[in-house]
Amino acid sequence: MYRYDEFDHALVRERVEEFSDQVARRASGALTEDEFKPLRLMNGVYLQLHAYMLRVAIPYGTFNSRQMRRLGHIARTYDKGYGHFTTRTNIQYNWPALTDLPAMLRDLAQVEMHAIQTSGNCIRNTTTDVFAGAADDEIEDPRPWCEIIRQWSTIHPEFSFLPRKFKIAVIGAEKDRAAIRTHDVGLQIVKGEDGGTAFRVFVGGGQGRLPHIAQEIASAVPAADLLAYLTAILRAWNLLGRRDNIHKARIKILVASVGLEAFREEVDKHYATLRHEDLRIPEDEAARIQAYFAPPAFETLPKTSGPFDRALLADPDFARFARNNVRRHRQAGYASVVVSLKPVGGVPGDITADQMDAVADLAERYSFDELRAAYEQNLVLPHVKLDEVPALWRALHDVGLATANADLATDVIACPGLDYCSLANARSIPVAQALSKRLADMDYQERLGPVRINMSGCINACGHHHVGHIGVLGVDRKGEEYYQITVGGSPDEQAALGDIVGKSLPADEVAPAIQRTLDRYLQIRADGERFIDTVRRVGPDPFRDAIYETLDATA
Amino acid sequence: MKIVTANRLSDGRVIYAGVDNQPVERIDQASVLDEATAEIVLAEVVGRPDVFVNPYAVEVEGHTPSGRDRLKEHIRSAGPTVGHSVAGGVG
Repeated sequence: MYRYDEFDHALVRERVEEFSDQVARRASGALTEDEFKPLRLMNGVYLQLHAYMLRVAIPYGTFNSRQMRRLGHIARTYDKGYGHFTTRTNIQYNWPALTDLPAMLRDLAQVEMHAIQTSGNCIRNTTTDVFAGAADDEIEDPRPWCEIIRQWSTIHPEFSFLPRKFKIAVIGAEKDRAAIRTHDVGLQIVKGEDGGTAFRVFVGGGQGRLPHIAQEIASAVPAADLLAYLTAILRAWNLLGRRDNIHKARIKILVASVGLEAFREEVDKHYATLRHEDLRIPEDEAARIQAYFAPPAFETLPKTSGPFDRALLADPDFARFARNNVRRHRQAGYASVVVSLKPVGGVPGDITADQMDAVADLAERYSFDELRAAYEQNLVLPHVKLDEVPALWRALHDVGLATANADLATDVIACPGLDYCSLANARSIPVAQALSKRLADMDYQERLGPVRINMSGCINACGHHHVGHIGVLGVDRKGEEYYQITVGGSPDEQAALGDIVGKSLPADEVAPAIQRTLDRYLQIRADGERFIDTVRRVGPDPFRDAIYETLDATA
Repeated sequence: MKIVTANRLSDGRVIYAGVDNQPVERIDQASVLDEATAEIVLAEVVGRPDVFVNPYAVEVEGHTPSGRDRLKEHIRSAGPTVGHSVAGGVG
C-alpha cells in the first residue's frame, strides 16, 4: 500500500500544527464559533448533539494493522472505547473533547493518517471497490488511481472552496462494488482504443434531498488525461454551479438543469486546453504509484484447500460463514474475507477498541498486513489463504466478529441518525437493530439471499436509503418519528433509485413491514431470482401491498 | 416554559443554564424560565462564548422537553438511546 513521502509527511505535520493553533485559539475564546467552524470542518471536526465528532480519513478504504491499532488506541484514550465506520469508508469518533483533538491528530499523523477533507466543501475521500487488487473480475487495481486523485485533490487551491462537497469513486471491474453512479463523479477503468488504461466517466450522481443517478459523460478518457478531465469537470461546475442555495449546489443539480450534452460541451471546452498542459500524468509517475500497490508475495497454491474443505464439512457454522462472508480471489488458494460489523442487534459500523486490536492482529497474521473498510460499513481482510480461513474464522468468532451475514438482510447500512447527528430528523440505529433482531434467523436470511437494506435518519441520505433494495428514510411528523419506505433502489452497475411505496410508518411498524416485504418476495420469486431481480420483474406493487396489508392508520 | 441549552466549548457536552446562569450538565438542574426570562438568560449566555456554544431555548413542561424537537432534546439530555455509548466505556 501507499507510504507517505516527505511531502505527505510535511503537509500532514504542518496541518496538525496549524489546526492545533486554531483549537488553542478557539479554546481561549480568541476565535468565535462562527470563525472556528469553517476551520474545524476542514479538519473533519463537527459539533454534534452530544459532543464534538472527529472523522478520520481512510483513503480508498485501505489501511494496515499499525493504523488499525492506532485507531483503537485513539478510541480507548480519547473516546468511549469504540469507533464507527462510515459509508465513505472513514471512521468517526463520537466523543472527543475539543482540547484533545490536537493530540489525536498527532497520534494519527505518526501512522500516516489524518482528517483532512473529511468534511467541508471540498473533494472528499475517494472510495473504491473493497476487493480492489483481490477480485477475480478486475481489469486493473483502481487504488493507484485513487491515490493519484488523493494527491491531486488534497488542499487543491482551486477546489478548496467548492459550491458543495464533491465525491469521487473508482472501480476496476464491470461489477460495481463501490456505487460509483451515486457519486458526483464515478470512474470505471476500461481499456481504451489503444489497449491502454482509460476511464469511463459518470457525472452528476448523488443522493440527498434531490437524488440523481450519474450519467455517462465520457466512454474512455485516457489514463494520462484523467486529472485533466477531472479538473475540467470540477472547473465547469465551480464556475457554473449555484452557490446561492445549498440544496441546489451539488453538481447533480447543474447537470440536471443544463442537461448532459450542454455540460459535456462545457467540460470539453476546458478539457481541450487542460489536456495539453502539465496535468498529464507521466507514465513513470503512474508506474511509481502503482508499484506501491503491487500484489503481495502470494504463494503458488492449488485452487482448493484441504483444511478449508474439511472445515466446511465439519462445522456448519463455518460453512455458513464461508458461504456468506468469503469471496473469490484472483490468486489461486486465496480468498477475501468480509468481517461483518453488523452483529444481531448491534450498531451498524461500530467496532470496539479491543476488536480493532484483534482485527489488526488478524490482518497482520493472515492477510499480508492489509485491511479494507467497505462502504457497507464492514471490514475486509483481502488476501487470506484458504488454508487459514478456518483459523481466521475461529479468531473472529472469539471477538464477536464472525457474524455470517455479509450482503444479507441484516447487513444493514445505517447512518448514526438522531442518536448522534445534529442534522437528523429521526433515529436510524434502533430501527436497524429491531430489524436485525427480527430477521436474526440465519436460515431465513440465507433463504432470502442477498438483499441490501439501507436506512437514513434524514434526507441527507448518509445511509444510502435511495439505493437500498429496500430503503428506509426517517422523517419528522410533528415531533414524532416516521419512516418512509422505498423499494427497488440499487447501488450497482444497474443503479436505480427506489420507489416510495406509500405513506410513512411509525418506528415499530418498520421491521414487521420489511419482513412482510421479504416474505412476499419468497412467495413470488422465480427460480434463481434475487430480491432485486424480482422487484425489477414485477415492480413495487406486490411489495407495497405487503407493507401496508396490516396497517390501517399511518401518517 | 423554557430552559436554555448549549454545547460546552471545551468538550462539546450538552449543558443547560442553571442557577445564576451557571452551566449544569443535567436537565433537571436547568432553570425553568418563562418566555421573557428565557430571552434574558439566552442573551446572557450568548455573551459567554467561552462556555456556551450555539445556545438556544427549549420548550419544556417541568424539566421535560415538550416542543416539536422534544425527541431530539430528550436524546441530548439523556444520551444516545442505543449502542456503545449507553453501555458506558472509558469516557
